[in-house]
Amino acid sequence: MIQAEQLTKKYGGKTVVDNASFTVQEGMVTGFLGPNGAGKSTTMRMIVGLAKPTSGEVLVNGHDFKKSRHPLTEVGTLLEAKSVHKSLTPLAHLRAMAATAGIPKSRVHEVLDLTGLSSVQRKKVGGFSLGMGQRLGIATALLGDPQVLILDEPVNGLDPEGVAWVRNLARQQAADGKTVFISSHLMSEMAQTADHLIVIGRGRIMADAPITEFIDNGLDQTIVRSADIEILMNALNGEGIQLRRIDEHGLEVTGPDSETIGRRALEYGVVLSELRPLQRTLEDAYMELTRDAVEYHSNTVAETGGGK
Amino acid sequence: MSNHLATAPHGKVTLFGVLRSESIRFFSLNSTRILVLLAIVFYVGIAAVATWGIGSLSASMGDTDQMPGMEGLSAPGFAAELIGSGLVFSQLILGVLGVLLFSGEFTTGSAVSTFLASPRRLRVLAAKGILIILLTAVVQIISSLLAFAISKPIAENYQMNLEFSSDAFQRVLWYGTLAVTMAALIGLALGMLLRNSAGGITSLAALFFVLPIILSILTTLTDWAQDIAKFTPDQLGMGLATPASVVTDLETWQQLLGVAGWIVLPLVLGAILLTKRDIK
Repeated sequence: MIQAEQLTKKYGGKTVVDNASFTVQEGMVTGFLGPNGAGKSTTMRMIVGLAKPTSGEVLVNGHDFKKSRHPLTEVGTLLEAKSVHKSLTPLAHLRAMAATAGIPKSRVHEVLDLTGLSSVQRKKVGGFSLGMGQRLGIATALLGDPQVLILDEPVNGLDPEGVAWVRNLARQQAADGKTVFISSHLMSEMAQTADHLIVIGRGRIMADAPITEFIDNGLDQTIVRSADIEILMNALNGEGIQLRRIDEHGLEVTGPDSETIGRRALEYGVVLSELRPLQRTLEDAYMELTRDAVEYHSNTVAETGGGK
Repeated sequence: MSNHLATAPHGKVTLFGVLRSESIRFFSLNSTRILVLLAIVFYVGIAAVATWGIGSLSASMGDTDQMPGMEGLSAPGFAAELIGSGLVFSQLILGVLGVLLFSGEFTTGSAVSTFLASPRRLRVLAAKGILIILLTAVVQIISSLLAFAISKPIAENYQMNLEFSSDAFQRVLWYGTLAVTMAALIGLALGMLLRNSAGGITSLAALFFVLPIILSILTTLTDWAQDIAKFTPDQLGMGLATPASVVTDLETWQQLLGVAGWIVLPLVLGAILLTKRDIK
């Protein structure tokens, strides 16, 4: 479990993380979502003690990670793809990491196999592609079989097979009761992996909720097309329903779900050539949240649930 | 796909563990091997060439004892001090190794891995300090012994007096090792403070090469420069190892105190900043 309490980080005069309070629970995958430069990496660096909070505090499993006696078995961290000396081989890097904490050599080979790096274990890291560097970073994070897994943009540079592998890994670790905290700037990636989502924009926590809430709290939107669109508009007119003509025969309906619209059309004998519910995707919800973040100074009341 | 450990590790971080980790990485790097080899080759080579050069010079000039200013050539300590001729190069090369041991962490980004594995930063510094002390001491002792073994027959060829057990050679051996270890620790501190290899190496070279030159120029103009010049790391180390070549009016204990200061102060300053600054 990770608990952040009013975590703030300022570099010079710039506030990178602004009074962030959140809890990352064990047994699930928590996504940490935000545009580039929103403060995701800085927050993660503060969790593992590499960056010192200007104010506030963050606890990992109830204590300060900097004082941890068993850091590698407590937290596995991937921060940058290549936080390894370029002239080292994966084998030397992992053996050195393992030696710090008395982790047996057999585990080094386990994580090399696991991440598919066994064949390049004696090649220098300097020549690695971004994806291979990322795999080595994940291997390093898994080395101590940690209780908490913190992965900063783990799928960057990975091929589709690697992306799916990371997704499975995260889900499996969570199923084992581990705390899994994954950052991304891509909502589509989080939609497939995370159970819970923390959205950050301009250093502020914009949302902190189960992923289902991000999809469900909007109103239904439907595209309807018919030759008798005028009749249908009269039929649908009513309380809480917004109609918008998009072209000669097309209409965007906000409010009722597509089934209600279909029934009303049947009642009035209108033939529909198209009835298409607009899925309010996570991507939409995310765009909305981060748009609010960008506009924060001019518009302090964040509007939610407005749809597109 | 299994992510589980076959055997559960205890995972406890100890100073010994960090030291092992540092050693594995250190000796996996080519730069380490190259610098160690260079340090030995330079030191032994310069000692042999100096002994041969001075020896052949004195032989060609005949009996130098009667010549003004050349009385020292057959003195018992002279040949021993020739072995220490390459000390400043050992200081520079192993000092660079000290710089790289810390600056490399920041220039390559491996500091992130290092301090995630051992979040207590001073423990990492302690491990690096122990490693560089052991390494430079061993390398310098090996260099000195090799240099002695090669210079001995050359010295004998020119009737120069070179004895292993002589006070002069023992000073070159042990105080020389101290001087080189000091340089490596200053390098380590510079690497930690500047977090940059080029900057650290340049500062080290400036401290050991440029500063003495500037001070020697100033010495001709002012008195205080002379007092400062005595306390540069270069003069302190050389004064201890080769007292006949580097004249100083400091007592041995004063020189040792100066060396201790040059070791402790940069490291303490670096340690304070290491615990305060963020790891990037």
